[in-house]
Amino acid sequence: MAVTKTEIEKLAKLAKLSFSDDELERFTAEFDAIIEFADTINQSIEGGTEQIRSVGARMVSFEALRPDEVAPSLPNDKILSNVEGYNGFFSVERSKK
Amino acid sequence: MNYEIVCGIETHVELATKTKIFCGCTTEFGGEPNTHCCPVCTGQPGSLPILNQKVVEYAIKAGLALNCKINTKSHMDRKNYVYPDLPKAYQISQYDEPLCEKGYIELDSGKRIGITRIHIEEDAGKLIHDKGHTYIDYNRSGVPLIEIVSEPDISSAEEAREFAEKLQLTMRYISISDCKMQEGSMRCDVNLSLRKPGDPNFGVRTETKNINSLSFIQKAVMAEAERQADILDAGGTIVQQTMRYDEGTNSVTPMRDKENSDDYRYFPDPDILRFCIDDEKVEEIRASLPELPFDKLKRYINVLGLSEATARQIIKYKKVAEFFEGALAEGASVKNAANLIVGTIFSNMDTEEEKELFDIRISASQFAALVKLADEKKINIGVAQSTLQKMLESGKSVDEFIKPEDLVGISDEELESLCKEAIDANPKAVADIRGGKDKAINMLFGYIMKKTGGKADIRKAEALLRKLMG
Amino acid sequence: MRTGIAELASKLRKREISAVELTKTYINNIEKLNPTLNAYVHLTFDIALKTAEQADQMLKEDDAPLLCGIPMALKDNICTDGLPTTCCSKILDGFKPYYDATVWEKLRAQGAILLGKTNMDEFAMGSTSETSCYGAPLNPINTAYVTGGSSGGSAAVVCADLAVYSLGSDTGGSIRQPASFCGVVGLKPTYGAVSRYGLIAYGSSLDQIGPLTTSVKDAAIVFDAIKGCDKRDQTSVDHDYGVSLAEYLDRDVKGMRIGVAEEFFDGINPEIKSQIMEAIALFEKNGAIIENIRLPALKIALPVYYIIACAEASSNLGRYDGIRYGHRASSYTSIEDMIVKTRSEGFGDEVKRRIMLGTYVLSSGYYDAYYKKACLIREEINREFDAVFEKCDVLIAPTAPNTAFPLNYKGASPVEIYLSDICTVPVNIAGIPAISIPCGEDSKGLPIGMQIIGRKFDEPTVLQMANFYEQNSGIKAGVYEGGARA
Repeated sequence: MAVTKTEIEKLAKLAKLSFSDDELERFTAEFDAIIEFADTINQSIEGGTEQIRSVGARMVSFEALRPDEVAPSLPNDKILSNVEGYNGFFSVERSKK
Repeated sequence: MNYEIVCGIETHVELATKTKIFCGCTTEFGGEPNTHCCPVCTGQPGSLPILNQKVVEYAIKAGLALNCKINTKSHMDRKNYVYPDLPKAYQISQYDEPLCEKGYIELDSGKRIGITRIHIEEDAGKLIHDKGHTYIDYNRSGVPLIEIVSEPDISSAEEAREFAEKLQLTMRYISISDCKMQEGSMRCDVNLSLRKPGDPNFGVRTETKNINSLSFIQKAVMAEAERQADILDAGGTIVQQTMRYDEGTNSVTPMRDKENSDDYRYFPDPDILRFCIDDEKVEEIRASLPELPFDKLKRYINVLGLSEATARQIIKYKKVAEFFEGALAEGASVKNAANLIVGTIFSNMDTEEEKELFDIRISASQFAALVKLADEKKINIGVAQSTLQKMLESGKSVDEFIKPEDLVGISDEELESLCKEAIDANPKAVADIRGGKDKAINMLFGYIMKKTGGKADIRKAEALLRKLMG
Repeated sequence: MRTGIAELASKLRKREISAVELTKTYINNIEKLNPTLNAYVHLTFDIALKTAEQADQMLKEDDAPLLCGIPMALKDNICTDGLPTTCCSKILDGFKPYYDATVWEKLRAQGAILLGKTNMDEFAMGSTSETSCYGAPLNPINTAYVTGGSSGGSAAVVCADLAVYSLGSDTGGSIRQPASFCGVVGLKPTYGAVSRYGLIAYGSSLDQIGPLTTSVKDAAIVFDAIKGCDKRDQTSVDHDYGVSLAEYLDRDVKGMRIGVAEEFFDGINPEIKSQIMEAIALFEKNGAIIENIRLPALKIALPVYYIIACAEASSNLGRYDGIRYGHRASSYTSIEDMIVKTRSEGFGDEVKRRIMLGTYVLSSGYYDAYYKKACLIREEINREFDAVFEKCDVLIAPTAPNTAFPLNYKGASPVEIYLSDICTVPVNIAGIPAISIPCGEDSKGLPIGMQIIGRKFDEPTVLQMANFYEQNSGIKAGVYEGGARA
């Protein structure tokens, strides 16, 4: 197996996902196959030492960056329109039954 | 056991741009919660970041002022971690191509503390914890920050404080931030480890946060150094962890760290293009920098001839230095201007805050006009001081208080005859003086001042009196 | 031939039909057919009728835009102010953005009538639209088969004439492949030609929004309307196309150099290969020059795509934590627990797989071997395409190695499904434009799609070549018998 269950658990913690034991079994097997598939790139060209600085060669010049001019913000009720806010704040109960 | 302190400071400075780093929302402090927000800074699905030009400019200014090399090509990276105050679950920051690198700050001792790097990034929102709830305000989310990382060159608590103080002063001088620690526009974290003198290896280091003033930096370094020394002395090992400084107890305790040993999975942000700036533009920015505080200090001492103490007091506040120099530009003398500022004006300001704000009611021109009268001996220092006081209170110019008639000087003949008069009118004082009690001359001064309404030149009078008394 | 946009526009102006009547016709047919086809997941009939009334007013003016009064659909990952936008995921259940995607803002300003949001693979991750939390849409050509994905609903509504045109999004083939499975036209523009602001992100360096239509001319008309630089999307490009592409579709293909790369045909269904070869022969007969070219990096394009797309997705999807929008777990022991439960409850299996893969390839210790390497190979692929376009004006390739799969095809493992993206993915990696047009059907009667691929910002040539084929091959998007109008 290329990827161990422990590694999957570590990844899940980073990704903030949880799996039941059954799901973890199934997932580990599928994931293994996916990593094997991803591994095929390592049979190809040698990796270089250069760092990846950006996606693509396009660059923007300093002059073309956004000017520092205030744009109106949105009203509080819009910002909170998809949740139940509290006095204008986003609100989360720290634990809930 | 004696240990060497190896300390570096990581400083986050909030930039005083008008808008946030990736959207046009205002960076104004305060405001009702979630009223300075938009889809971008609240991480709404489908929103995209647009980099603010001023942020890059201010960061470059900071780099130039701290003697750094500017990377003319740079990009943004995503730092991925999950926390409620981070709306996108990643912070857009810079990982391996910071905008500025390899600078330094010189301490008074001449020792240079290296600046490893300066990079730009966005701030997170604010969390408020209540009994059972956590409330989140994203007004601060997206406010631009620069992170300034020093080399671990600091070897004492005093050096730590001096470094931070000089950093703060420099950032204020180039007007990129008000750097107020208590308000959070400047945040310092202290990285510290100990080692035995002569040991070339580094010990295990801790990071200490929650330090809210320059003096607490000094105290925190001492507290953490002591804590580590105690552990090492007892034969223990230092645990690498994040610590929290507590002002009340002056102690350092482990923090339940939200970040743990998170793997941030940095990668270049695909929504933000790599950006570049030409050398000419960097030079233009360099030319726009004001005289930096330590160059100013040297000039005040070496060229203007001010004492170090006075010079330090004036350069400490940029507005004061500008006011001082404004008065000099209008012909005021260095000595009188400096003394009046430090003596009279500062005595009207009790707090550091007042001195920083330097919100006084008269202009440098008005001040210069007063100083020149004293320079030309048309009024004496005592009159200058009291007039200045009145000017500060009212905001009015010197002519409101000193009429031209008042300036008509006492002629030398008049002064001489007054001196004779004083001697005649105060025989006991004269006798005392001749008998060795020199202080009695004040009686004669008093007489002359009363007769002249305080306008006499006391030094001239003194010379005349002594001559007359023999 | 189905009535295209220009013809409908003319009817609307001549008052042969009003926008309201046209909209009502579409509404009736959606009510009849959508319960079976499941192509729409959110319906916006009230707003559609109101907009239609306004459109009728706009149409009274001489300068009413071409798209005014034309009923259409948007994929459910394109933000619409005040209207549901869920990416067909439980985690965005109930989410209504308070802002419009730029493309929708543009179309709305032209008087477009939105009938509803279309079904898709959850978060655009998939090739069959079966990972939708609303269940799969059915292929109108044969409802035992999938529509393809991830813009399956967008393809189905156009196929079944439940919308005159729709917008989809394409990250690895998600417009082109469902277009080919449903026998309609689908265009993926050059990366940066269309603003991504308001498109809920999957693979940020790969995503593009594009039209699905029943004719090449309609695709050109819609592309004209949605393209353009947007200061809210820094990756959008200020390219001056100069003219309206829809007005310059006619072109003589004599002397045009068409590249055919054998790597695209590796292992594909022989029926598909023969249709595409027939199409190529048609071009040759009319004077085009066929160049046999090699694109060796194509073989490695698939894992490169999955590594980059999933890496970006794992980061883009981090924000779904129940705090600011969408589903929030109803019982938990701490905020961290709430976030983990929300995400585990809200995301489907395929999304979780891709988030995990993305997290893995970016994690310390693996970044160099996977993500960084994939980016370097990406640059290699781009160089190969650049070299090929020195010798060719366009490339012709299949859109997919197969026609539509049967629904609930149990045989395929996740990796097998990924392999079906082989023909479309290289185009996204290179950021170049490509169109899929119907070029026949297989022995089961399922549509076959042909891809015409061009240089960056050369949509004009791609559309012209596609238009030529459409006009001269006699193969058009089918008239769906159960549809609104013939």
